[in-house]
Amino acid sequence: MSNKKYAIVLDDTKCIDCKACTLACKMENHVPTGLYNYRIWVAEKPVRGHFPNIKRSFQPSQCQQCDNPPCVHVCPTKASYQTEDGVVLVDHNKCILCKYCMTACPYDARYVNEEIKAIDKCTFCYHRLPEGREPACVETCPPKVRVFGDLNDPNSEVSKLLVEHETFNLKPEKGTKPKLYYIR
Amino acid sequence: MSLSKAKLSRRKFLTLSGAALATATAASSLSSLKAVASSNTKENPVNTKGRKFVYSSCAICVNKCGLVAEVNNGVIRKLNPNPHFFKSRAMLCARGNAGAKVPYDPDRLKKPLIRVGERGSGQFKEVSWEEAYNYIAENVLKIIKKYENRSAIGFASTEGFQEEFFIHLANIVGSTNTVRHPTLCLASNIQGYSSVYGTYPDADILNADFVVLAGSNRAEAIITPDTIDMAKNHKKQTLVCIDPRVTKTSAIADKWYPIKPGTDLALVLAMINIIISENLYDKDFVEKYTYGFDELAKHVKQYTAEWAEKETEIPASEIYWLAREFAKNAPQSVWYPGRRSSFYANDVYYRRACAILNAIVGAFDRKGGLVPKSGIKLKKHDFEFPLYDFTKERIDNGTLPFLEEKLPEEFKTAGSLPTDSCAYLSEKDGSWIVYRDAALAGNPYPLKGMFIYKQNPVESVPNRKKTLEFLKQMDFVCTIDVAMSDTAFYSDVVLPESTYLERWDPAENLSGVVPIVVARQPVIEPLFDTKSMHQIAVDLAKKFYDMPEFWEDSTDEDRAYLAKYIKAMDVPMEHIIEESLSGYPGAYEMLKEKGVFYLSTEPEYGKMLAEGARFKTRTGKIELYNVKYAEKGLDPLPVYKKPSVGKPGQFRFVVGRHGQFTHASTQNNIYLLEAYGDYENALWINSKVALERGLRAGDKVKVVSKAGEQIVKVMPTEFIRPDIVYYVHGFGRISKGLSLIYNKGASEAAILYDYAETISGNACMHETFVDIQKV
Repeated sequence: MSNKKYAIVLDDTKCIDCKACTLACKMENHVPTGLYNYRIWVAEKPVRGHFPNIKRSFQPSQCQQCDNPPCVHVCPTKASYQTEDGVVLVDHNKCILCKYCMTACPYDARYVNEEIKAIDKCTFCYHRLPEGREPACVETCPPKVRVFGDLNDPNSEVSKLLVEHETFNLKPEKGTKPKLYYIR
Repeated sequence: MSLSKAKLSRRKFLTLSGAALATATAASSLSSLKAVASSNTKENPVNTKGRKFVYSSCAICVNKCGLVAEVNNGVIRKLNPNPHFFKSRAMLCARGNAGAKVPYDPDRLKKPLIRVGERGSGQFKEVSWEEAYNYIAENVLKIIKKYENRSAIGFASTEGFQEEFFIHLANIVGSTNTVRHPTLCLASNIQGYSSVYGTYPDADILNADFVVLAGSNRAEAIITPDTIDMAKNHKKQTLVCIDPRVTKTSAIADKWYPIKPGTDLALVLAMINIIISENLYDKDFVEKYTYGFDELAKHVKQYTAEWAEKETEIPASEIYWLAREFAKNAPQSVWYPGRRSSFYANDVYYRRACAILNAIVGAFDRKGGLVPKSGIKLKKHDFEFPLYDFTKERIDNGTLPFLEEKLPEEFKTAGSLPTDSCAYLSEKDGSWIVYRDAALAGNPYPLKGMFIYKQNPVESVPNRKKTLEFLKQMDFVCTIDVAMSDTAFYSDVVLPESTYLERWDPAENLSGVVPIVVARQPVIEPLFDTKSMHQIAVDLAKKFYDMPEFWEDSTDEDRAYLAKYIKAMDVPMEHIIEESLSGYPGAYEMLKEKGVFYLSTEPEYGKMLAEGARFKTRTGKIELYNVKYAEKGLDPLPVYKKPSVGKPGQFRFVVGRHGQFTHASTQNNIYLLEAYGDYENALWINSKVALERGLRAGDKVKVVSKAGEQIVKVMPTEFIRPDIVYYVHGFGRISKGLSLIYNKGASEAAILYDYAETISGNACMHETFVDIQKV
């Protein structure tokens, strides 16, 4: 049993919507081209006010790596599964493209990868972790909006940030227990 | 015209780099270079199989961020940020990441091409390099003979590690007519700041407490490390954004003022007035380091906050707040100099005022203020090039009868701007707008040949129609690029350059608050029949050397200079890199080991404020009052002039950057195009105005200006003032070799009129007014 529990803490007030994360992810994970093919994205929050009293803000996001992942629960072939360290992955060989998981995901975090004929989504760059490398989005971000680490390590930066800052999860009412924490 | 003067002036711009070695030193190092070259035992990182990580430097924009390429069996898998490259704070942006696909772009140039159809028909035949070189040499010779003028061949380029070799080529051909990107960009900024400080400084954003960004959209026009430091620091730093658009930078700003376009100078002058009249300036600093304070104080009295409110549409109370906070936070205050300053006809005066504002609060060469750039001096060859009888002085220099026409109407008589010749034209940069008009007028002489490297004037220079006419009247056009740019499409010969991931590039100092050196090594082997600019320059040098007709207006001695050049340059680039770093023991090793070379990671402040230091101005001080300007009949102190106005119903067209695109060069990258979120651009128009005019999202409109017209879809938005319109640059292209963006959306160059600011020769890209008609 792994004693790790991976998470990302984000300070999205620093985000300038440069989309370095989206591109780094596309390159690292061979996400096919297409306007709607992506594992991670930057959303512009609803515009507040009218000209000239107006504020823009951005929210980068991705698969929330839920502790209670609905996608895993609905998958009929067990293609979607959770690793011991809490990362939700898709076994592309088992995927039958029934898209139940896409419907079940409250975060719209999955897309159909036509090249591999399977559902695809963020893996926290699981393949990078054994080499001690951070997820590509974390590594490439100019202002370092995202911090990646192990929640079970009290000395990790994510653990410290969660102690120091008030954070929130997206759509907590869904009971999915996301492991993406946004600093307020 | 005196020939000897032309010769002399050409000698002066032989090298691009300021850090040049004396000729004697260069000559003595030749033997060692040759020795290194013969022992060609360097390991080539490219040739190994399997998985490897290779250090290099990004070239997708001007920042040149350090990168680590992950390469699997000779194929790039991913470009990652180099953790040692502190200038970028170890990041790689969207464009940097998408660069991994540049070598594999199906649209890239793969073989040399010679035009077979009409110019602009897009019909080319693939040829060998030898055929291409012969064709070029033949045409160059034809022009030199026909016009008895080597300067009848122009050389246009933009910055990059290989640009120096292109400038060498201009020297080898014997032309004075290089024209570079600064007059489409920051020429007025450099002139304005230099007229005050004798230098164009950087901003110490990392340590600043109060930062004003006026027209600098750092979130979408990324400059390292400034963009990153602003975003990281935004909670502890006060960031004020002044822009007629709600840019993405406003997301991290504490305040945003939608200033009335063209009135920024009024704001700055009012701030200076408040700071002086309320005694908030740094008296010791002003006393010790500046010249002309009393004249300044007297001059700005007329510019009150209440007056400026009427000009700028920023409330006087806010102007007081800005001025007082700016002074209070000094010297950790920065009126950000920005980069592209090709805004308005009075731009130099405006930049002067910005520089003066920072000076009177003592926020110069101190932590958190403006800081003069530091650099690491590398050894560079300072070649002597042949001199020819048929070389004439620059085409855009000196008295030009048409110059007054380049100014917007309102500035022709009342702007204190030169109307017969550009006051401070850079000898190697020239002025694109003036240069093109001179060529079209054939005044002072015809310009009939053009070499173009890495630049795409057809989409970069305002007034596309005129650029096409400019190219049409040429006897010969050769473009060197990685893609079929619009300019390449209208050329006679197109030479394919290896991409930045396939070639060696010389080590370059990136000057800044803390300087750093990077170089490039190939991360993969060239995929196609391409060469570096370095190789092209050497190959053409050899070609010209062997042609007796090429030397008819020169001497054997001059020809010998070219032999020396070839001998020194015809070596592998890694040896040139090693040699350039030879002044610093261990530097080459550090570059290999970490992908960077630096002397320190800490900034150095106060060099110009030290005892005995002298500012590079006439008085040796910070010139609030510019002595040379007064002598030249220019305003020695910045005088406000009201901005030009359009006809009723017209909008001012403004330009601005976008985070996924570098000028007009990355729109054809499918990954970046999709990250932008659409396959064409759209006209930003204020929601309310759109409603009044019955325009809905997606409707097509015709945008009409003095320069031309374009059809584009409408994007009503709250993010823009009602009196301006905007669309993202780089669409509506005319090269069929840019398959994703050919004829998609609207071109900016086709709409912008070619006004110029006549002190530095910079283009004015915010002086165009347009009509919008629903189609």
